[in-house]
Amino acid sequence: MSTPSILAERRTERDGPPDPVLIKIRDLIYKVCGIYMPDNKFYFLNDRCARRTKVVDTASLPEYYEMLTSGPDRDAEIRNLLNEITVGETCFFRNPQQLAALRKTVIPKIMAAKSALSFMRLKIWSAGCSTGEEPYTLAMLFLEESLTLLKGWTWEIIATDLNDRSVSKAREGVYDNYSLRNTPLPFRQKYFKERGSDFAIADEVKKRVSFSRLNLLDESKLLFMKGIDVIFCANVLIYFDGASKRRTIHHFFNSLLPGGYFFLGHSESLFGVTDEFRLVHFPGATAYLRPAPAASGGGVK
Amino acid sequence: MNAAVHEALRARVKSLEAMPAMPAILAPLLRCLELPPDQIEVEKVTELISCDKSIAAQCLRMANSALFSRRGAIETIRGAVVALGARRLRDILWSSFLIQMAPKAQWPINPMTFWEHSFGVALVSQQLAKKVALPEVEKVYLCGLLHDIGELVNATLLPEEFHNAVEHAVKHCMSLYEAEKEILGFTHCDSGKLLGDYWNLSSDIQNVIEFHHTPADAPPPPALAAVVNLADLLCRLRGMGYGYDELREIEFSEAPAWLLLAKAVPHLEKFDVARFTMELDAEAEEIHELVAAAFQT
Repeated sequence: MSTPSILAERRTERDGPPDPVLIKIRDLIYKVCGIYMPDNKFYFLNDRCARRTKVVDTASLPEYYEMLTSGPDRDAEIRNLLNEITVGETCFFRNPQQLAALRKTVIPKIMAAKSALSFMRLKIWSAGCSTGEEPYTLAMLFLEESLTLLKGWTWEIIATDLNDRSVSKAREGVYDNYSLRNTPLPFRQKYFKERGSDFAIADEVKKRVSFSRLNLLDESKLLFMKGIDVIFCANVLIYFDGASKRRTIHHFFNSLLPGGYFFLGHSESLFGVTDEFRLVHFPGATAYLRPAPAASGGGVK
Repeated sequence: MNAAVHEALRARVKSLEAMPAMPAILAPLLRCLELPPDQIEVEKVTELISCDKSIAAQCLRMANSALFSRRGAIETIRGAVVALGARRLRDILWSSFLIQMAPKAQWPINPMTFWEHSFGVALVSQQLAKKVALPEVEKVYLCGLLHDIGELVNATLLPEEFHNAVEHAVKHCMSLYEAEKEILGFTHCDSGKLLGDYWNLSSDIQNVIEFHHTPADAPPPPALAAVVNLADLLCRLRGMGYGYDELREIEFSEAPAWLLLAKAVPHLEKFDVARFTMELDAEAEEIHELVAAAFQT
């Protein structure tokens, strides 16, 4: 048809064309950090950029983009923007589809492979655990399964973070209501004790997680992380430069047992960063697999 | 389809006359809309749409729906054609025809869920074909839209058995395709192929309908069936499936359809599947709105 509008994309017609600068910022963030915001998150990205432009006192989005790409403080500013994007994301049961993939597929599959070797032990690592919500969520899920799926198995949850304050807050295990916003009621009742307006994690959960301080760039320390079945590392690698990211991911690969899985944050991707891991899809979630040596095809399971 | 399956199917699907015939203007209209963008004639499309009152009304309603409300009131068919665009017109033409086929009373699948899946696969197939630079981009949309059309045949002509198959699939967390094989002895791929034949759809579309679950068996070139297979898997993984838990884990780089596609297009390994998957979350939201608008009465 002669009019160009006839072939315009639907969303563009409804919302007006997204700001091309915003698309550039989205693509820049993806390229530099591996975090992707689909078109339905543009309003969010726009809002976060607006917050930053106010702080750094730039007049317009194009100027802000200039600052992110060629300003003297571009690396720092990308960090600041990432902080705005990921701020307040931490909470218990943050990514239900990822947890469902873990419980329904990943754990049973690893268990099947290990019971063939009579090695009934699981080791999970929450790398960059922040204030502990993620590893405690995992511990609660595992406790729930301890008399059924995991009966007869030993399991261990290791949680590390670079930040000392985060680690001590995690050890303390006291959270506000907002951190529990995704927590299903039965878990809330069973594994938390109200303490004033806050909630303290139950001792039986607390003692199942071992917290320590660890810098993911410290290669000598990473060499000791061995025999892991599943690694969770959400919204941490996005802050690393390309080379550090590659190194850390290579260490993760070596830390995992063959057949082990590595989960990133919901919007993160490792595209172009690793050839060792293989991308796998679960309903509503993705992960990276360290293939078992003799793993042959199959694809759809 | 082997002879035994064909016989089993024929014995049960006595006649396709119970299935709706295609409206007379649909075939010429779709032919107009499948031309390369610069060759599509607005006037001709407008004229054809004006011949069918119900389709014309549907186009006006969609053009004025909340999805496109920014444009203000659209009162003419030509205005609606221009506002909606070729791709969306095609959606509407097919949806206005296909949605009336859904037997409301005894359908075991929620029709909205079915159409969300069908439109989802159509859109994702098209996006995927575009991203990997498959030459048949325009064809692939319709292939995706109609890939599961056999389920309408099964639901219309064999309501009880199909109901059992759906129940079996949900209960055992398996794909409908596998459940149909067990319960019916044939699948929506087989019955869809019969309907495609009855409607005189192109051989490309018929092949996708028949082989979208087994793209390796598709007559060459199998790329269309492979793309629709992958789009189908992606949709079922990203909130545009049949609304129950069936797929567990998929490694796309090892999937048969992926390996077939890798032979058809160069540098498939450079395609960022992780990013494409995340992009789909925006699509899912939009498809949901589109189907809801199509179902408004």
